[in-house]
Amino acid sequence: MTVKECYDMMGGGYEEVIKRLLDDKRVLKFAVKFLDDASYDTLQESMAQGDYETAFRAAHSIKGVCQNLGFVTLSESSTALTEALRGGKNQDTSELERQVREDYEKTVQAIKAMQESDAAQ
Amino acid sequence: MEDLLAKTILIADDAEINRDMLKFIFEEQFEILEAADGQETIDMIEENKEHIAVLFLDLLMPEKTGLEVMEWMAEKGYMDLIPVIMITGEATVESDVKAYEYGASDIIYKPFEPKVVMRRAMNIMELYEHRRYIEQKLEKRTRQLVESQRKLQQNNDFLVNALSSVVEFRSLESGEHIKRVKNFTKIILTYVMKFYPEYQLTQDQVELIVNASSLHDLGKIAIPDNILLKPGKLTDSEFQEMKKHTIYGCEMLENFKQEDSEFYRYCYDICRHHHERYDGNGYPDKLAGEDIPIWAQVVSIVDVYDALVSKRVYKAPYAVEEACRMIHEGECGVFSPKILDCFDLAKQELFVMAEGVSFADDKEMQ
Repeated sequence: MTVKECYDMMGGGYEEVIKRLLDDKRVLKFAVKFLDDASYDTLQESMAQGDYETAFRAAHSIKGVCQNLGFVTLSESSTALTEALRGGKNQDTSELERQVREDYEKTVQAIKAMQESDAAQ
Repeated sequence: MEDLLAKTILIADDAEINRDMLKFIFEEQFEILEAADGQETIDMIEENKEHIAVLFLDLLMPEKTGLEVMEWMAEKGYMDLIPVIMITGEATVESDVKAYEYGASDIIYKPFEPKVVMRRAMNIMELYEHRRYIEQKLEKRTRQLVESQRKLQQNNDFLVNALSSVVEFRSLESGEHIKRVKNFTKIILTYVMKFYPEYQLTQDQVELIVNASSLHDLGKIAIPDNILLKPGKLTDSEFQEMKKHTIYGCEMLENFKQEDSEFYRYCYDICRHHHERYDGNGYPDKLAGEDIPIWAQVVSIVDVYDALVSKRVYKAPYAVEEACRMIHEGECGVFSPKILDCFDLAKQELFVMAEGVSFADDKEMQ
């Protein structure tokens, strides 16, 4: 699987990201680091505990990282959740949370697939 | 770029990936420090402030936000030392304005565009570096100026002292008269400055006037020995000649007149008018009231007082109390009520100083 195929799979902006980072190896290196980022776990935990301030920061962090990595789909859904949590939770966010979960899993799957095919080479 | 003195970049962002993405832009040319929250950022700045060329600062971080970090930096005076580039995810006018209000130099948005980020950072670092360089140069220059001014002042004092001691030597006066006149003038002027603000005296002026006071009798150098050194009372015509020392002094000064010099003006006024009296009965110009410059008024009373309490070739010293009484009762001419007031305020200090000095005089004479 090429890096472009991985980005297509998750709904990312490959063209934009390669323009900034210049080569596939670097994109791959940064993309893989996303798997170690704890923000998603923090988001899940803090939402469950009703700690919406921490949840807001975690969603904001996911959003920022996705912007930098060109993970467009997840960036959009996490942006929506971030805005919904800004200044505390004052609306039903279950649909936004579900969307983030779906996009996150898709993104992680795509990265893992790319990581495996890279390791196989 | 190689000239930059500070070569460290501090990247403060809670997301490691974001830090890495800035790091890869700069790591070839700079040392990179990283902080993952606001408190860590503050600690890193405190420890490395001399070396940090620029700080990339995320707005939203745990412990302390980017704005709180900048608040702390402003309090510590570090904002002038370290340029801050704010990192933000959303470009809203509101948050941009806030960042600039807090003193950020620039703002970059995610996703980071390496070439743009690099160029902006370089511009800002060079600007700060340049400013630091200019400030250091200015500081050095100022130090040099202060030093050369100090030396000039020293030379100037030396020459004024040399000149006034010529007069003293000639008059066979003890070396202490001029010192006392300077000291007394300073004491009384300080009271004038404090209690009579209408004269608008400043500390700098007082220093100049005190120096100028040492030349008050400059013209005595032109008075013939038989008059200047006469032990007994002067005849009328001798006294007329003696009085001319006020004019001779000014004639000497006029030979090297300095148009715009404050110091020249004080020297001139004091030489000429230190025998004028408030009621117009002094000499040489019979000036009255506030037409007599305040600096000449002060030196007048000081000169009279010191003459009274000192031994002179023609008289024994008066006791301090007697001297004060004579001055108050107009036996040595009339002084302005304000000057008399300052004289009374200064009396204790004058007394202590005169005691010490006249004691020194006695020793010298033995």
